[in-house]
Amino acid sequence: MRQWIVLAIAALVLSAIGFALGAYQTDVYRKLLLWITLALGYNFLFGISGQVAFSHFTFYGIGAYAIVILLFQVGLPLPLAVLVGIALCVVLALIVAIPATRLEGFYLALATLAFAQLFIVVLNEGGAVTGAAGGLANYRLPDVFGMRVTGPWYTVVIVLLLLSTWTILWRLDRSYFGRACRAVRDDPEAARAMGVNVAHTKIIAYTVTSALAGMAGMVYAFVDNTVNPLIFGLENVFLLLFMVIVGGSGRHAGAVVGAVLLYLLPLVLSPLIGHHHALVFGVFMVVVVLFQPKGLIGLWDMLRKRGGRA
Amino acid sequence: MKKFFLHKALTVMAGAMVLLSSAAFAQNTIKIGMITDKVGPAKGYAEPVAQGAVYAVKELNAKGGLLGRQIELLVEDDQGKPDVSATAARKLVDSGVAFILSVSLTPATQQAQSVTRESKTPHMTPSNSGDTLTTQVDNANFWQTGPLGSTQISTLLSYARNKNYKRVALVTDNSDLGQLTNRFFKAELEKNNIQIVSEEVVPRGSTTADPQMQKVRAANPDAMFMTGVLTPENALILRSYRQLGLKAPILGNYNMSIPVYSSIAKGLLDGVVFVDAFDPAKAETKRFVESYKKDTGTEPYNLNGYGYDGIMLVADAIKRAGSTDKDKIREAMQSTKAYKGVMGSVNAAYGFTDGKRTGFDTNGMVVRVYEGDAQGKVVHVGNK
Amino acid sequence: MNDFLELLVGATASGCVYALVALSYLLITRPTGVINFAVGEWSMLAAFGGFVLLSRLSLPYPVGMVLVLGGMFLIGWATERLTVRPLLEKGAPALAPILALLGMLVVFREVVSLGFGPDPQPVPPSFGFGRLELGLIAGSYQSFFIIAVTLSVFALTWYFFERTLAGKSFEAVAIDRRAAALMGINLRRVTSLAFAGSAVVAGLAGVLVSPNVSAHYLMGLPLAIQGFTALVIGGVGRVEGALLGGLILAFAEQFTVRYAPVPPGLAMGVPLVLLIVFLLLKPTGLLRAREARP
Repeated sequence: MRQWIVLAIAALVLSAIGFALGAYQTDVYRKLLLWITLALGYNFLFGISGQVAFSHFTFYGIGAYAIVILLFQVGLPLPLAVLVGIALCVVLALIVAIPATRLEGFYLALATLAFAQLFIVVLNEGGAVTGAAGGLANYRLPDVFGMRVTGPWYTVVIVLLLLSTWTILWRLDRSYFGRACRAVRDDPEAARAMGVNVAHTKIIAYTVTSALAGMAGMVYAFVDNTVNPLIFGLENVFLLLFMVIVGGSGRHAGAVVGAVLLYLLPLVLSPLIGHHHALVFGVFMVVVVLFQPKGLIGLWDMLRKRGGRA
Repeated sequence: MKKFFLHKALTVMAGAMVLLSSAAFAQNTIKIGMITDKVGPAKGYAEPVAQGAVYAVKELNAKGGLLGRQIELLVEDDQGKPDVSATAARKLVDSGVAFILSVSLTPATQQAQSVTRESKTPHMTPSNSGDTLTTQVDNANFWQTGPLGSTQISTLLSYARNKNYKRVALVTDNSDLGQLTNRFFKAELEKNNIQIVSEEVVPRGSTTADPQMQKVRAANPDAMFMTGVLTPENALILRSYRQLGLKAPILGNYNMSIPVYSSIAKGLLDGVVFVDAFDPAKAETKRFVESYKKDTGTEPYNLNGYGYDGIMLVADAIKRAGSTDKDKIREAMQSTKAYKGVMGSVNAAYGFTDGKRTGFDTNGMVVRVYEGDAQGKVVHVGNK
Repeated sequence: MNDFLELLVGATASGCVYALVALSYLLITRPTGVINFAVGEWSMLAAFGGFVLLSRLSLPYPVGMVLVLGGMFLIGWATERLTVRPLLEKGAPALAPILALLGMLVVFREVVSLGFGPDPQPVPPSFGFGRLELGLIAGSYQSFFIIAVTLSVFALTWYFFERTLAGKSFEAVAIDRRAAALMGINLRRVTSLAFAGSAVVAGLAGVLVSPNVSAHYLMGLPLAIQGFTALVIGGVGRVEGALLGGLILAFAEQFTVRYAPVPPGLAMGVPLVLLIVFLLLKPTGLLRAREARP
């Protein structure tokens, strides 16, 4: 019960911020919330389940394109389009997960990387359906119960997406499933010996996180009302990986910190060091991996512990 | 649980403070925004355009500015990412710009339009050539003065009219602009009853274009049109062309007019025909080249000219509007006609006639030929 | 038929470039288990080195080549020393060096972009851009040069691993790190050499391919992916596997574009599909590692 109250308060506070911001700040805020959502999901896949996958952003793209195509080319009503979109993401995630999770470590990374690139190739060759290289534009979120959901009200939708993603992942993490994922991540053989179905665990983890990314994609489609292949390219997936690692992989709070830091940093750094924030991120990544593998959140923990001891 | 939200609240509040502190302080200047790509894939094409624009603002301010006020150019970097471009556009709108110039990638300009349409902010691209920018999104506040793909091909075809090409090959890359340009080239060729006997794509990251060029050679076309915009891949195509002994004349889109080819495609360019929007013999162009060289020390080229013309057109519209009111600027911009800029052939002028929002004179491109590795003289003007 | 033979040389040359990148991965992966995704950026660094020394400073080709490769040796050694050794010695999880190297990938790329700008730069070929015809086979001078160099490199590497003691120590480390250490093999030296050698090979690939493709700061990632695909196809176990994988990949790519009735855009998917198929069906590649000899 307490959890619901905390969640409700969080929803109110985060939404209220949305109402207080100007147009530019709202845009940054919305995209920040979406990145946090993605980082949470990726953290579960990479940090908690130990699967090095580069397909997270691809499912973001699949969700975004799916909802636009289903709504405006197939002509489904909104609720049905959302359901079909989610189903599509789940099915595709399963199709990828079932063979892919048999692969170890970096081989999984490569397979998902190839999948991500294949997605871009398909988008580019999709002709009128996907809008090819130019993408799809010139559409608008259809009215819900006769109301136009726009502006700060749409920010509320994003807030709800973030909080529900967080709740689902937090719940999973706390449950037996979460422990199974960590066991599989740390030592699959030992996990198997303890009775964990390694293959199933990996498949479920992959499918759930990819479906969540797809849902985020569906929400994203109406933020700028444009989808094109460039948005879902490889650069962003590296950024996501960096976010999770710099923040602290395996910890939800780490994903949030990493996402906020790496998303807002270019905006702050631009006036100072120009635009070579990618260099800064690369260096961050190396420094974090070398000196503080627990990420920034690990640093925070250390500082708190030290402070408490005095 | 609570700890988690404390973290989150703190970080979000810190973020909000950063945002709020970035508000520009009020000054009595006219603000013009520009979205360019300083780090991404479009950097090579966007930055020179941006430099031309910066120079134009400098020149205008030295002459007293606009409407008695100095012009302040707010530059945003979208890193070649379309969603960042939209965010950058919002930031500029919030900063109170009177006009936004987009000189980054075509899809980035497209995504920024969703913002300018909603906020009714005047928006223009002086360099993008994608034909669908003014048609895919219904945005009355957006204009395009870059040389359209359709204009490029009609100019090339008018040059080639007496050569009677009946069967041609199209070679492009897998970039968005390359594909778009290819589409419009193809449409115009088919409209003129010219058969396309080979259509090849050289994707980004290729190590050779031999298989594609072998197919072109096997199809034996009268001419080969290059519609790609990725420089290394175009160099590959030219190299394969020579290696495989192809003889069909090459006609290139305006990407081939960019000077970088003279260094990375040395020895491969002789005889290549290309379409350009820069005629060094034009009076306005000569003046621009001289003053730019005197001011910066380097000689400008066609890309700088686009940016320069962009700012000049915007300034002209604002002057005619007499104020920075967005509606007045829109009307003034739309009624631009017969404006002679640096780009275009000697008689070309910018103008938005009949409610169209593409302003580059369709008759205003020139055809030039490479002589050795240097860009040769103009051999043909216009598309009639 | 002529087209086929003509394409043969070009495709073999491309395959050799992929093979060199695959070898570059292999030289690191076998002794240390680390997958260095930054090999593509190493190729790019060497390509720019070639641009500076051969194009800008116009040094004679052999001199420039030696200097570039020497530079790559140092870069490989430095990369290992700074970003990988601390992790290996700390006993960090296997993923850590891979991630650190991913970070270095971005660092290398941005540094070059900062230093040279985004425009592609020319790199001269070894013998000019002429064309050689040997009976029915025809190809550019550069293609033949690439093939010759690659075959030499592979021959040398094979000899090193199969016949020299130092090479055998590499093998020993690959099979069992701890046992090798117990046998007195200097793990540090092996790892440093592995990285240095890998950088030299990757650099060679970069200098060889850039006369055609030009040196530009984005060329690393496609090469890295193509090289890794070649490695997966050929198998990590044996040096010859890298060569085989590279050739198969290049042939599949180019002959599909030339002969298959597939729209050109989709032909790009061929290497990706190949990679996925191999990863799923035969992840150990075509050539299996040789069994330990008694």
